[in-house]
Amino acid sequence: MGNVLVLAEHRQGELRDISIEMLALAPSVAEALGGEVMVLLLGSEVGPMAEKIAGHGVKVLVVDDPLFADYNSDKYQKVLSALIDDYKPKLVMMGQTAQGVDLAPALAVEKGLPFVPDIIGLEVEGGVIKATRQLYSGKVNAQVALKEADTGLVTVREAAFEAPDPSTAGAVEKIDSPLKEDLDYRKFVEYIEAEIGDVDITQSEILVGIGRGLKEDKNLPVAEALAEVIKADLCGSRAACDAGWLPDDRQVGTSGKTVQPKLYICMGISGAFQHIAGIKGAKTIVAINKDPNAPIFAEADYAIIDDLHKIVPQLTEKLKELKG
Amino acid sequence: MMRGMKMTTENQTFAEKFDLLGCIQCGRCTGGCPVTVRTNLNVRRFVYDAYDEGLLEELARVTDIWDCTACHTCAVRCPKGLKPLEVLIGLRSLVVESGKTQPTVRDALESTFMEGNPWDKPRATRNDWMEGLDVRIAEPDQKVENLFFVCCTIAYDPRVQVTARNMVRLLKKAGVDYAFLGTDETCCGSEIFTLGEDGLFEMLIEDNTELLNEYRADRIVALSPHCFTTFNTHYPDLNKPVIHYTQLLAELLEQGKLVFEKGLHKKIVYHDPCYLGKQSGVFEEPRRVLQAIEGVELVEFNRNRERSLCCEGGGGKMWVESESKIERLAETRIKDAHALGADIVAAACPFCVLTLDDALKAEGFEEEMQVAEIMEILGELEEMQDNSSSAQEVED
Repeated sequence: MGNVLVLAEHRQGELRDISIEMLALAPSVAEALGGEVMVLLLGSEVGPMAEKIAGHGVKVLVVDDPLFADYNSDKYQKVLSALIDDYKPKLVMMGQTAQGVDLAPALAVEKGLPFVPDIIGLEVEGGVIKATRQLYSGKVNAQVALKEADTGLVTVREAAFEAPDPSTAGAVEKIDSPLKEDLDYRKFVEYIEAEIGDVDITQSEILVGIGRGLKEDKNLPVAEALAEVIKADLCGSRAACDAGWLPDDRQVGTSGKTVQPKLYICMGISGAFQHIAGIKGAKTIVAINKDPNAPIFAEADYAIIDDLHKIVPQLTEKLKELKG
Repeated sequence: MMRGMKMTTENQTFAEKFDLLGCIQCGRCTGGCPVTVRTNLNVRRFVYDAYDEGLLEELARVTDIWDCTACHTCAVRCPKGLKPLEVLIGLRSLVVESGKTQPTVRDALESTFMEGNPWDKPRATRNDWMEGLDVRIAEPDQKVENLFFVCCTIAYDPRVQVTARNMVRLLKKAGVDYAFLGTDETCCGSEIFTLGEDGLFEMLIEDNTELLNEYRADRIVALSPHCFTTFNTHYPDLNKPVIHYTQLLAELLEQGKLVFEKGLHKKIVYHDPCYLGKQSGVFEEPRRVLQAIEGVELVEFNRNRERSLCCEGGGGKMWVESESKIERLAETRIKDAHALGADIVAAACPFCVLTLDDALKAEGFEEEMQVAEIMEILGELEEMQDNSSSAQEVED
């Protein structure tokens, strides 16, 4: 028996992407272990969600019970603990998410499972499960073998794998809840929603930065249009935030935030030292500024020395064309 | 142990450390505090409340404590000779000690610990400002008259590196016996102190004292008023005097070793940096230097000398923003300068130059007015001109 048990994650009636992303890995691992993939879905009135998961050619075990309407680590742990005893999966997978990092360590300790968190790769070699995870802030990838055990546990990094398209129809099997009554020592209270438009620029992969060179807030759409085409978030220099063009939490620099996007396109930012210090983590910097002596060009990988008001709309148009 | 500052012992209470019982609650501190026009900071209130040990933790959580720029106006005005601002720093220390400080502050502290500067720059590049210049680096066993202490901000920020570059040219021209510390130079801790990292500050004091005492120099010349004042206030065991570079220049002018051949027909208003003026009493020398330039018309702000309006660059504010959307004090300053019809706002402090320069751009006066370090102005004269990109203005 070499089954792989994947814990599906959902919130407020929405299946989380990570649930399907894990199915990019699970089938090949299950096959190598000589078993099958089982997805565990705990929830209340989650029939359609179960069908959706089953559409990926996997067996879905559903515990449909009002007790599981919202995530609760204590209840989840009890259920998983019981099901690991019943089903003896060779591997349990869950997301490296707020839920996963809450649940997995406690479960690993309770059951004595070998546990590899935050994995970005998974394979089986000679019957041994090997996971890849990053060390030293992502500078080194390490492959770690799970200790020989009846069951191992991994949490999978979000967005590390592309969710596979639906394939053949699998099966949905309702099972009884191993948890018969509510636990009252930890309760779900409420979801606190982040403010709409609230973006954490420290996590953004692509950023468009604006500075005083934008001149006035009525020019903001110039930057917004570019950002929309390349799916970037907007950020700005202290000056841009001071001027009220952007909220304070979008300020980049020593007194604002340090960002690390893969791509940073900045316009009208000449590159004050305190701003530069905030973008040192950016992989590729494209600077647009009409002043050829602007210090930003010493930092930039690509320099466009021209008026942003002339260049950026053209750039946006070209990118639109390229994207079709 | 520390000159001008009380040391805490384990038995000393917060109230004893900051002499809170000495306060008569007259309110002159808050009354003169420049940031009250744009933030809710009420330093008198903190001095009052901090007497209650049980309230300290709560007080340390009030974000207002991070609005203080450590300008020392409150200390200058206090009739009892207290330093109300240090109560705020003491509260910041509680935050830092608890490990719950803002990431921006954390990074600055970590960088100072690791690399000897708060700018997250490698120590190895501390001399990069010297590029293309033949600079004499100090050796401990070689006698030198003036040992220069550059300052982290001047060493690393391209906007103000010109201060040090022009200084080297001027020293050579005037035939001054000088040497620079080079990559051994480590942050004086001015901003580390005001950010509340006591432990790191004490470590810097110890290390810097040991380093600076090793050199056979007659005196230390600091390019930044922050280093200058910090050495004179918090380094009791330094074995040589520390002066600010404007004092050296005034001395050279008096001795006739420094003569400005070319004139500059500009109206200049001098902005007294808090750390140089109200904290260290150096008011005349910078003015004397500017007045020695033929053609310069030196005008004065209404709020000058010990009443000089803080630019908000100190007190760790380079790493902490206030939530206030009300005009920055530097912008007020720039407007005042504009109203005076000044061509140049001169300052003798890297932080003042950076904040005032930002404000100049914010007010849109770039075409009419200029913010300049005094060394930058002197560079405009004669052959000291620095044409490298480091002298370029920064837009924001």
